[in-house]
Amino acid sequence: MKISLGSGSLLSQGGASSLGWVERLRRFPWSLLLLLTFTSTVGFGILYSAVGGEDNIWLFWRQIMQFGIGIGIMGSVALVAGEKIYRRFSYLFYAFSLFLLVMTMIMGSVGMGARRWLELGFLRLQTSELMKVALILALARYFHDREGAKGLGWWSMSVAFLMILCPMALIIKQPDLGTAVLLGAVGMTMIVVAGLSWKVLLVLILVLGASMPLVWNGMHTYQKQRIITLFSPERDPLGSGYHIIQSKIAVGSGGLTGKGFMAGSQSQLNFLPERHTDFIFSVLAEEWGFLGGIGLLLLYLLIIMRSLLISEMANDRFGLLTVVGATMLFAIQVVVNVGMVLGLLPVVGVPLPLISYGGSSMVTTMIAMGLLAHVSIHSKQHGRSV
Amino acid sequence: MLNDDREQFRGDARRRLLLVGGCLGGAFAVLCGRLFFLQVMRGGQYRTLAEDNRISLKPISAPRGRIFDRENRILVDNSPNFEVVVTPELAGTLRYLLRRLGRFIDLSEDEVKLLLQQARRQRSFLPLRVKSHLTWEEVSGIEVRIHEFPGVDLQSQTVRSYPFDSLASHVLGYLGEPSDADRKRFPKLSFRSGDLVGKSGVEQHFETTLRGREGVLEMEVNAVGRHVRELHRTPPQAGNDLLLSLDADLQKEGQEALGDNTGAIVVMDPNNGEILALVSNPTYDPNQFMRRMTHAQWQELVTDPNRPLSNKPIQGQYPPGSTFKIVVALAGLAAGKLDPRESVFCGGSLIQGDQHFYCWRRQGHGSVGLVQAITQSCDVYFYKLAERLGIDAIERQARKMGLGAVTGVDLGGERPGLIPSRSWKRKMFKSGWFPGETMITGIGQGYVLTTPLQMASMISTVANGGTVYRPSLLRLQPGQKPDVMSQNTFSSHHLAVLRQALEAVVNDPLGTGNKARLDGEIRVAGKTGTSQVARHKREKSGKLIKTTNEKLQDHAMFVCYAPVEHPKIAISVVVEHGGHGGATAAPLAKRVMESFFSKRDGPVG
Repeated sequence: MKISLGSGSLLSQGGASSLGWVERLRRFPWSLLLLLTFTSTVGFGILYSAVGGEDNIWLFWRQIMQFGIGIGIMGSVALVAGEKIYRRFSYLFYAFSLFLLVMTMIMGSVGMGARRWLELGFLRLQTSELMKVALILALARYFHDREGAKGLGWWSMSVAFLMILCPMALIIKQPDLGTAVLLGAVGMTMIVVAGLSWKVLLVLILVLGASMPLVWNGMHTYQKQRIITLFSPERDPLGSGYHIIQSKIAVGSGGLTGKGFMAGSQSQLNFLPERHTDFIFSVLAEEWGFLGGIGLLLLYLLIIMRSLLISEMANDRFGLLTVVGATMLFAIQVVVNVGMVLGLLPVVGVPLPLISYGGSSMVTTMIAMGLLAHVSIHSKQHGRSV
Repeated sequence: MLNDDREQFRGDARRRLLLVGGCLGGAFAVLCGRLFFLQVMRGGQYRTLAEDNRISLKPISAPRGRIFDRENRILVDNSPNFEVVVTPELAGTLRYLLRRLGRFIDLSEDEVKLLLQQARRQRSFLPLRVKSHLTWEEVSGIEVRIHEFPGVDLQSQTVRSYPFDSLASHVLGYLGEPSDADRKRFPKLSFRSGDLVGKSGVEQHFETTLRGREGVLEMEVNAVGRHVRELHRTPPQAGNDLLLSLDADLQKEGQEALGDNTGAIVVMDPNNGEILALVSNPTYDPNQFMRRMTHAQWQELVTDPNRPLSNKPIQGQYPPGSTFKIVVALAGLAAGKLDPRESVFCGGSLIQGDQHFYCWRRQGHGSVGLVQAITQSCDVYFYKLAERLGIDAIERQARKMGLGAVTGVDLGGERPGLIPSRSWKRKMFKSGWFPGETMITGIGQGYVLTTPLQMASMISTVANGGTVYRPSLLRLQPGQKPDVMSQNTFSSHHLAVLRQALEAVVNDPLGTGNKARLDGEIRVAGKTGTSQVARHKREKSGKLIKTTNEKLQDHAMFVCYAPVEHPKIAISVVVEHGGHGGATAAPLAKRVMESFFSKRDGPVG
């Protein structure tokens, strides 16, 4: 890209924000939405089988509704705001989210042994979901502002780490190990892409490895249990090992082509726990077999590749890092969830995006997708190619 | 400048993104590989596990074969046992329901407490057994009001029943929980809790015949064990019925004849070994074992000195007394050392060395030949005969007639009795055989022991002319050959002499067994015996001192067959501590024979 557009980001800012609605719609990454819709529709089918029976069919309809709302959110996030809006308000949003996390800590409501929700009258907000988006935007802004600095020194690195560690610590305390690890992984990837020097990266990996015993000691008993269980689920087949054992049986018994729609005995006869939320992949694998499982993983891979392509179109570091963060948020959830269902990773409460039943997860995923679309819409490459 | 920097960053970011993308790709590859491993490589294994999860096998019990006597009267049956069960999840408040049920069935406060405890422990859709062995009144009381009791159900199971109660209880046996020995005996059967197995009698001996093959109900169950649907049903195969050779009438007659006496009566068909009656007294009621016996009842059975649980015809070992003289006489005749016409003088006792051997008749029998010696049961005659024969010849003859070994009857726990020999004595006592021991063996005392069944078999052998059949409790099928254990070849002359003597025992005015004589035309041949329990005490003159201790009284023995021309029935009777065989045992044999012949030929006499 040569200096053909003159000198200023100010100029381009004015140009982009004046994009008309028609132009914005034209630039919307429709292919991404198509992939998302297709994957979600596959998800509806699995969910229909997973809720099994008329009693819980409302879960199926509600999930369709939630996806509809999700599309609305994605569209709003992508289309309404001007180019610089997210960058401008990112720190404020981050601070607000952090504040809400603290409030959750103090006065959140308890469910299933964890303090994760904040009651806001009409709304029951899972504040850690908000933080996922806020952290991505804030980190993107932070590295965007340090544009031009040659490499990233220890000091600026430390600030970035602090931005990640603060919310992580609060979320671990809830306790919600899954979300915390997810946050850490997404933030870490962004730092790496932003230009962490390889030396520092190496040191970090070493330090992280060395601090593992400390982390282990700091974990809750149930969290330790999950990790022990992962390596030997047979030690406690009816207790903590039950999830992994039953899930592996469901997946394995699916074989190459599966048992057929609504015909999986593990899922239909309730052997599989959490089968419409965290373990929904087992339902797919049992009823549609290896081919079904590989098919879904390929769909996810397509979405991820399509998303990463948008990074090529980003106008600036903020846009690029937002794309990386949003994509990684999506991709890491897929890997962790499927890894857990297949007995490769400990059982942590990470949902399968677009497919697991649940409103919060759907909203966060679609916000992230909206941010991707937003970067794509405001890309100058569109203008150039016309 | 800025743009250069931007471009440099973009290039750098692209490289770094490639690293991130590579990691992600690697992660996805691992997931795919894992999926392939679980589903394609280990698929079969996990499929089995899933099926195990899904399918629950419920056994359907097979009805056990019934047992009939030779005239198709049912001796052992399967009858319904009604029980009331309740499914707590359908019952509303369980405590309240049980209290209302208590108005129609007998439920104690403790039982209710126990049931409520159990209900808390198990899943609420699993039925809870409230009470079993309901009476008809209880069943009908609940049945008509069943709609008032939600979740309550009446169920019937079969339970073994013995309609004649204690009749032939030792032959029939009873059922009980399988022991380790039972498991070892039937390695192919898989016993479950609540399963019953024959513990004694034919119930035990013919276990594999009586036992059916369990059916299986394959049910699909969900994760908490609730039944979803039936997948497959393999119907059970009922066990085979048994047709016994026993005659319930004869068995009853024998049991009543013994009355309060402890003892045994065996009735056999001498022509094929079929057992018509096998009486052991005292008896027990096998039904007790099926309705959970109380500890007190069990203690009573086990500690009774007359040992009602022991089957005396096959487990009681008694000195045969003078009934053994038949064997000794045949041994003498076979050895050619006995001339039936030769006379022996009996002066009431015999002195051998410094030992006195007394005849039961103190004043002696005078000069007696073989026939008189048997008829009057002269002991001195047989002392001398035994002395002349030696123990080896007696032992050989006894064994050929099936004594000293189990008969092979279709019952467990049979004892072999004892026929002494030189080698046996050397092994047991590490000493040689004394001639005096041969002499008391000659009158069926000393070491020799026989069971009542062996004696019935022995007299049958005399009756049929030499064949030792295996005593059978199963009725022979038409055309079926009876099992032969051994064959004696008696010369017809010897046999005729012996039979003449045995006939005289019952019919000669001087015979010891007159009390077995039938009133009609049918003639009986027999031999009395008095088997010594303790050494007899005598005065200096040799006069017997009568003991007052009932437990030291002699056992009364009697063996016989009838009719003499074509024997149809052979009997052995033992009355423990009954005194003289002729006085106590012979009348019982007569009673059994009367019953037998009146049934066949109309009233005797």
